[in-house]
Amino acid sequence: MSQSATGFQVIRKGFFSLVQDAGRFGYEHLGVTNGGPMDAMAASWANRLLDNSADASLIEVTAGGLELEVRTQTMIAVTGGDLNLTVNGKPQAPWRSFWVSTGDRLRFGTPRLGFRAYLGVQGGFQVPEVLGSMATVKRDKLGGVCGRGEALQDGDFLASGILPEEGIARQIPERFMPDYSGPLTLHIIPGYQQHAFSKSTWQQLMQQPFELDTRSDRMGARLSGSPLQSPTLGMYSEPLSYAAVQVPADGQPIIMLNDRQTLGGYPKLGNILPLDCFALAQRQPGTRIRFAPIGLMTAQQQMRRYLRFFGL
Amino acid sequence: MSFKRPDATFELAGVNAILVRFGNQLNSALPAYLSALRDHLLTRHPSIISQVVPAYTTILVEYDPRQCRMYDLQLLLERELEMVAFENTAQCGKLVELPVVYGGEHGPDLTAVADACGLSEQAVIELHSGQDYQVYAQGFAPGFSYLAELPEQLRLPRLSTPRQKVAAGSVAIAEQQTAVYPYESPGGWHILGYTPITWFDPQASPMTPVEVGDRVRFKAVTVQQLDAWVKEQAR
Repeated sequence: MSQSATGFQVIRKGFFSLVQDAGRFGYEHLGVTNGGPMDAMAASWANRLLDNSADASLIEVTAGGLELEVRTQTMIAVTGGDLNLTVNGKPQAPWRSFWVSTGDRLRFGTPRLGFRAYLGVQGGFQVPEVLGSMATVKRDKLGGVCGRGEALQDGDFLASGILPEEGIARQIPERFMPDYSGPLTLHIIPGYQQHAFSKSTWQQLMQQPFELDTRSDRMGARLSGSPLQSPTLGMYSEPLSYAAVQVPADGQPIIMLNDRQTLGGYPKLGNILPLDCFALAQRQPGTRIRFAPIGLMTAQQQMRRYLRFFGL
Repeated sequence: MSFKRPDATFELAGVNAILVRFGNQLNSALPAYLSALRDHLLTRHPSIISQVVPAYTTILVEYDPRQCRMYDLQLLLERELEMVAFENTAQCGKLVELPVVYGGEHGPDLTAVADACGLSEQAVIELHSGQDYQVYAQGFAPGFSYLAELPEQLRLPRLSTPRQKVAAGSVAIAEQQTAVYPYESPGGWHILGYTPITWFDPQASPMTPVEVGDRVRFKAVTVQQLDAWVKEQAR
């Protein structure tokens, strides 16, 4: 990288940090998954704080540890989980935008509350687009700093612009800040093979608690609990929409998320309200999870409000 | 064989998607139909329909819930399904021939498959390479193509214990399907051979060597012939 390049130098890659944008759409029929921020709401807030377009690229910092040196002068925003961010050793609360300049050190520590932080920069990070998106998808080997699906590495350089004049740092009003503590209820819209599951399985789903399993990743959130009876259907693989709830033979539900495989052959109960999946992305393994039913009309109303609010 | 389109049923698939199901049977006319239906829907309704993903007997239609209600979309789809011809197009897609080295280190399960099927290894190779397969679906991983239908004599359940590691390019069978592993990955299919095809290249046009509705034929070759083919492809 040339001396004159402006942006951010990765000093320590941390646990797992990815360049993301709204996601890669339009190639699902070839098996290319979507990617995109696991907590799209927090990512949208970061871009909103910077007056960026809703699909500007940002960094998804999972579980912390990322350390960056600033090589420009610009405004950044941090939203999502509180990963004990410090700037030059001084603690910084999330959900606000602030000014940084050359030589500043940003360091994400370990999670205090939540699991994934979003670091946005005025104008977005400049990495190559692959199939119309910068979203990093490791499994598809697409997106990210070099376009081959790799997570941030020590020594990577994230180019971004210079902001010549100081903008006004902003903070998100407290009433908009989500609460990432405590158990979580996932609202499910019945769908797919819902009728193939017995009534008692549905009752069990609504009544018993589950736990978020450590094997959860960007492909899917795995839950563990007393096993559900999954019907034997001998299905052909079929397309998986976002937040579909698969129940394989072991009876432990999997919620299919951003990096899900495009096709799958397990019976499905329906789909989780996306807003709840965003909240789920901020929960650490071991979190207690419950299910509750929601109708399509109510779910769509909530999603329309979200999309309108962020101009998505 | 008649080519009447199976009746369509509709299933909810979340806040912005609907799954259309065309029965539960493999149907050799479906891949080309679903592929054409995808093009038709995306061209006709770009402001309402954002993505269309076909699979064996289903097609997922993603829409903008601000533009249209689910019920209205279903009515629209019922009309549009009739606009695309459903016919025996199994011979219409392009045919792609893939050279395969069968057996030995490249096909560690060839002997076991021959034993399980009560056939000679040569007979297994002849059966597997003796017919065309249709691309029924693409997915799971970029470019991964599900090919069917395998001859009856070769249909076996998946391995009882999947392998930790299957090499990229492995030509494998399970039940009525055959496929080629695009990347090194775990897998439970029976490996008959090896072909060095690249299934997905985002820089290439088209990005995949075959599409849903196309056909694939495997051709048994020697290691030397395969090397020559690879050199030829590189040119």
